[in-house]
Amino acid sequence: MTAALLLITYAVAAAGAAPFLRKGTWAERSPKVGIIVWQSLSVTVIASVVLAGVMLAVPAMPFTMTLADFLRACVTVLQEQYSTPGGAAVTTAGALIAAAVTARTGYCLFSEFTSARTARRSQLRSLALLGRRDPSGHFLVVDHQTAAAYCLPGRNNEIVLTSAALAALDEGQRAAVIAHEKAHLRARHHVVVAAAKAIERAFPRVPAFSIAHSELVRLIEMDADDRAARSNARLTVATAMVRLAEAGPAPSAALGAGGTSALARVRRLAWPSAPLGRLHALVAVSAAAAMLILPPAVALTPAVSTAYAQTCPTGFPASI
Amino acid sequence: MHRLGQLESAIMERMWSRSGPVAVRDILEDIQRNRDIAYMTVKTVMDTLHRKGLLDREPDGRAFRYRPTQTREQHAAAHMQEVLASGSDRTATLLHFLEQIPADEVAQLRAVLDRAEQDKSQAGK
Repeated sequence: MTAALLLITYAVAAAGAAPFLRKGTWAERSPKVGIIVWQSLSVTVIASVVLAGVMLAVPAMPFTMTLADFLRACVTVLQEQYSTPGGAAVTTAGALIAAAVTARTGYCLFSEFTSARTARRSQLRSLALLGRRDPSGHFLVVDHQTAAAYCLPGRNNEIVLTSAALAALDEGQRAAVIAHEKAHLRARHHVVVAAAKAIERAFPRVPAFSIAHSELVRLIEMDADDRAARSNARLTVATAMVRLAEAGPAPSAALGAGGTSALARVRRLAWPSAPLGRLHALVAVSAAAAMLILPPAVALTPAVSTAYAQTCPTGFPASI
Repeated sequence: MHRLGQLESAIMERMWSRSGPVAVRDILEDIQRNRDIAYMTVKTVMDTLHRKGLLDREPDGRAFRYRPTQTREQHAAAHMQEVLASGSDRTATLLHFLEQIPADEVAQLRAVLDRAEQDKSQAGK
């Protein structure tokens, strides 16, 4: 019970930390670290709630050496739990929470990944008819008067540029765009985005998840910019962005109110700030690791301590 | 791209370059100039394209005459519309190099870039 409450409190605190985590420039300085931290935050919140539910449903299971002992202890513990009227209610509530959160998360992940895959397949089929391979072999060209450059991840990785985008870029800028898209494909950024989007859709009332989603969308772009800037001048990547923006589509009215991250991207390409120092990066990655380890660790602690209590010769006979 | 996709695209390419309805035989002869291919293969793929809604057909004697439902430009426009729509709702289907940007922000982008280029050229002096 205590451990369950502890986990719930922790989940609320972690989710509540999201708006503060978004502040500052730490993630922009090292987008890769930022991606890890934001993903860990979503995982830790969900894992804590599920484990808290499990712990309410299943009272601390003793940790014994033999199966017979274990089963006997289980029966004793469960009998105790159900003999009190409140116990049964708590158990049911816990089981429901754990099952509902797991099912909802799983369902949304599944539907997000399958719908993205279906949409990609239909895009690929249509591209087979419309696109022509550039002589370099690196990308497909679609004739269209709107400048756009994008990649279709998945088994048949494809990078697509419209003819208008090609016309807007010189050779160096084009190389920068291709490097950026290749970075997306290589780092499998679409998986990051799909998972974040699925979790946001699963629990739309938890602001932490929508913050994590928008931060991750922003950070994968910055990460891809950084990777593109390894083989291209930073200012060339920035110039390619601005030229595509100038030749790009007029935004639809449905554009999110959050504003775009393009300005921040160009700024950090033009005037790069130093990446996080080794110490800060280490702190951030350790925090992410702690977020992943903490929920299962808290959940297991009561089992371990019960095991200790049960094997302790003085306490055990008295409890029977 | 797999072979069937290639054949579909070869057929659509020819359909789009012709005006007016054509018979399977016309397309077949056209393709046979480049490679050996059976009548039934072409017919099957054209039926598939009809089923997918890319080709219309009307009876002509014992066979059919086919025509594209959309011009190549219309098809490209519909395709790109879908692509651009996916850019604004942040789906995981495609990853765009750049999201859609309001006009005033484009001007801001240009201003930032110009300043950066100025900085760079001054530093270079």
